Amino acid sequence: MAEVVRRELVYVLTAVVVIIMIVDYFFAVPAISAIAGELNTWATVISTMALTLGAVNIIRVHSRNVRKRTPGVWYHSAWLIFIFAFVLLLGLTNINNPSANPIYKWIFDYSYVSLGQTWYAITGFYIASAAYRAFRARNIDAALLLIAGILVMLKNAPIGEVIWAQLPVLGGWFNDIGQMPAMRTFLIVAAFGLLAFGFRTLLGRERGFYGEVGGG
Amino acid sequence: MSQESIWDRLQRIDRRVIYWILFILLMIPFIRPLSLPVSIGPQSITFIEGLRKLKEGDVVVINISSGVSAWPECLPSLVAVSKVLIQQKAKIIFWTSFVDGHMTFEKIVEKVPEFKKLTYGVDYVHLGFYTGAEPAVAQLAKNIRSIFTTDYKGTPIDQLPIMKGVNSANDVKMVISSDTGDYCDYYIRQWRIPYGVPLAEIGIAMNFSAYQPHWQAGILFGVTAGARGGAELEKLIGAPGDATITMDSINTSHLLVIVAVILANLGYAATRRRK
Repeated sequence: MAEVVRRELVYVLTAVVVIIMIVDYFFAVPAISAIAGELNTWATVISTMALTLGAVNIIRVHSRNVRKRTPGVWYHSAWLIFIFAFVLLLGLTNINNPSANPIYKWIFDYSYVSLGQTWYAITGFYIASAAYRAFRARNIDAALLLIAGILVMLKNAPIGEVIWAQLPVLGGWFNDIGQMPAMRTFLIVAAFGLLAFGFRTLLGRERGFYGEVGGG
Repeated sequence: MSQESIWDRLQRIDRRVIYWILFILLMIPFIRPLSLPVSIGPQSITFIEGLRKLKEGDVVVINISSGVSAWPECLPSLVAVSKVLIQQKAKIIFWTSFVDGHMTFEKIVEKVPEFKKLTYGVDYVHLGFYTGAEPAVAQLAKNIRSIFTTDYKGTPIDQLPIMKGVNSANDVKMVISSDTGDYCDYYIRQWRIPYGVPLAEIGIAMNFSAYQPHWQAGILFGVTAGARGGAELEKLIGAPGDATITMDSINTSHLLVIVAVILANLGYAATRRRK
């Protein structure tokens, strides 16, 4: 019984919040707007708490690895905990502006930035190799996709117009006439899907995010 | 044992060979820049035209929702846009939904020498990091002070002259969103549609196709496509920068991918005909 009441309470709360947010968005009633604003602030505060929760969870998982001496993993976990604690302490030394601490700034400028950009750049190598191995004109559809892909690439790279001035025009045609209607359709269909999802949530029929599978 | 034909081998080039060729090709522009001309798309033209409509003292928000890993794609456009905003004598408020957003802000300030002539807190400010995705963006539109009470250095927001009279989306003339994800969607739904604030997107190349329909519908006044978009903005404002240099690497890498794909398909077609 208590479980049913608890569950129904969540449905009712969700429906109330959804109604407040919809009325606020479409009708701008000052009293409702104030409540909606408060709810938005709550959502922001909860997100901030989720960040802390994520940090605590990382420490919990990696502490377990170190405690159990998980083969091949524990020393990485130990390093992660050390770096976590080190950067946290550095940050706490000047909580309002951690960048003012030269060591903190050095870590970000010379390890975080370099690693981030290296990681992103490496995808270029994978994409080049994957395109070579995967793009095969096995049938007419694949051949069309291949031709369109090459023309759009030649439109984006200035070398396309150096090879032939009309190449960007052709690539632009595929982009504007070929791609855009499909993307527009996708956006509109997704918006309708979101509306349907909202209504189902409002009616308590969308229960996936309560931890239940499926719905009515 | 049968010998592999050249057509078979064309389909099975070791990936390490492709990595090395790509690496060498990416190095060529550093030794000998190609400096090929970049044509300008209409999305970049309307972007700059939109910025040029700003008047002295207008408040512009730059939302940084891209991390440092996206600097090669987004930073040149952010730098070019900041230069135009300073030329227009606009007041710039930066904020970020990425934990490393302050680094992007500091990099923009470093790369735009004109910032040195301005006063922090009077002409520009960075309010810092916010979390909470779309609800936070909605709340920023209603009441900036309910999300930010201080700037990223801890100075109370009410002590910053730039923030005097700036409370909500009604007090902001324009938003520029730099994205690797879907934050621009949040600003479309929570700022552009309800408050009518003009909005433009600085995205990674992948975002371009998603936001192009919004540009065509007039919801966004400008969209840039990664480094290419940055190069177009740099050309439009007559200040070649990092994106213009990056175009050389884009030329060589794109060419390699196209040649590799064509070779693999020639090999595939030849072997299929033989069978």
